[in-house]
Amino acid sequence: MSTVTATAESAPVRVRPRRRRLGVVGSVGLTFLILLAATAVFAPWVAPYNPEETSGGPFEAPSRLHLLGTNDIGQDILSELIFGARISLVIGFLAAIVAISIGTAVGTVAGYFGGWVDTVLMRAVDVVLVIPFLPLMILLAAYLGPSFWNIILVIGLLVWARPARVLRSQVLSLRSLEYIDAARALGASAGRILRLHVLPGVISLSLAQFILAASNAILIEASLSFLGLGDPTAKSWGSILYYAQVRSAFLTGAWLWWVLPPGLLITLAVLGFAFTGFALEEVLNPRLRGMS
Amino acid sequence: MVRFLAGKGVQYALVLLFAVTLNFMLPRMMPGSPLVFLAGEDVGFLSEAQRTDLLRSLGLDQPLWRQYVRYLGNLVTGNLGYSFQKGRPISEIIAERLPWTLLLVGLALLAATLIGVVWGTLVAWRRGSAFDLGSLGVSMFFESTPSFWLGMIFIAVFAARLRWFPIFGAQTPGVSLAGWAMVANTAWHLALPLATLTLITIPGNFLIMRYSMLNVLGEQYIATAKAKGLAERTVIYRHAMRNALLPMATVVMLNLGFIASGATVIETVFSYPGVGRLLYEAVLNRDYPVIQATFFILTVSVIAANVLADLLYPLIDPRVRHAR
Repeated sequence: MSTVTATAESAPVRVRPRRRRLGVVGSVGLTFLILLAATAVFAPWVAPYNPEETSGGPFEAPSRLHLLGTNDIGQDILSELIFGARISLVIGFLAAIVAISIGTAVGTVAGYFGGWVDTVLMRAVDVVLVIPFLPLMILLAAYLGPSFWNIILVIGLLVWARPARVLRSQVLSLRSLEYIDAARALGASAGRILRLHVLPGVISLSLAQFILAASNAILIEASLSFLGLGDPTAKSWGSILYYAQVRSAFLTGAWLWWVLPPGLLITLAVLGFAFTGFALEEVLNPRLRGMS
Repeated sequence: MVRFLAGKGVQYALVLLFAVTLNFMLPRMMPGSPLVFLAGEDVGFLSEAQRTDLLRSLGLDQPLWRQYVRYLGNLVTGNLGYSFQKGRPISEIIAERLPWTLLLVGLALLAATLIGVVWGTLVAWRRGSAFDLGSLGVSMFFESTPSFWLGMIFIAVFAARLRWFPIFGAQTPGVSLAGWAMVANTAWHLALPLATLTLITIPGNFLIMRYSMLNVLGEQYIATAKAKGLAERTVIYRHAMRNALLPMATVVMLNLGFIASGATVIETVFSYPGVGRLLYEAVLNRDYPVIQATFFILTVSVIAANVLADLLYPLIDPRVRHAR
């Protein structure tokens, strides 16, 4: 990883006019996100049925009553998908908050203090980056038990490493700026400098990292739910696919309305976050500009 | 060179220590008796005397540091514990499963790296073209798609509908084949899981290769090579791609954790008898010793592959070889 960062830093600097807009990619991403968020917020008004209630026969094909058919116990799949947006987005959002809090703290402290603090923290980052993350999450989820908060915690505890690394390099370049030196010379404490002078400088970059972490978290939540380790009381897009798998929906014609839509929605959400995050990162981090 | 390897060595030792210690602590830190996690939920039916016996035979009556020493000793001698659900030593089960995972992951890694490198190189050369933008779009899609879902779609279309490939397993059960017939049968079963794992691994390689290649193409020696009137192919492959490949070596290895994770869900979807599928079965059966052993083996595999890459890396990058 250090080799990659080194290459990026020694790359020829391309001077380009500063961009303030998100660009086409960012706007497309943001549009996806707004559509999905609106669906989640207005789910009770948009959804034709209550997804927890039996509103038809089991394994019904799409009809005018059930646009995407019904599942194995007669629940409306379209309504499940609409309400599923709530669970998937909220878990992704909260897990990203956990990840970005740890990542910002670790990255800022490591970058600002340097020395052995930096060495220890970056070793920890390397450990998290090397370890096969999904098996580790499965192990933790199996022990802690599948619940809403445990899933968020497990994902958050394993997604902070990349943000920490990115924010650390931002702090490293901030640290050598003159106004920070001036504050230090005036006798400001490390806590005061971090709070008043360093954090404001990294906050926008950590927003971009937050969005990328959220896209990662949504994908991981889907995998965990698909393996039966999601919150059993809440239906996310991943757990809809879990039931489709358990009931072998993909061996029948039902794959078209039971398997295809949830996966497309997950992809749409992940893409929405990723596009927005990349565009934002590019606006905020001049070194990346012109590379994609 | 020696410092480079020593630094890496410390890093891998830390990863290993973390994995082993986590495995050791988890069953002992959870509320309730560690017996439930180490010997199965049936211990609830045991008499008091039987419980004490079991605790003693597992060494759970000793101080924590002694248990830890004993635990490490077991790992070093290849004793991964006992699966109470399957009633067999775990090392035996893993020995059966690991070759399938290595086959799947090894081939996916190879294919995804080759395709990613060539694709990224060509796209960077035509930067900004419709081919470039289309490629970026396609790779972003596969990067954002859940791998298990892609697998389910492949089964639905190519196995259930078109019947070109089998729906599950690594070999046709109940048929004993030998020689080329066996190889063909294995390859036929491997095709869909391999395609899925390769497809979700390509985007990462492709995006990094494209980025690295764009950096190299901005260098002056490329302009020189073009000015000399060298053929386009020569400039792309002999001057640009060789240098752009260097960061790839690191990225491919960093991807291993990702591929191991991908293999876990993909083996589950295709009922492919590898270590990842074993992990899923163990989760279903709450067979904690197996969950832990699988996590341990996957971590060790990733580290082993990293060490191998670090030893090979100086061969492709002379700067590392001669650095002091």
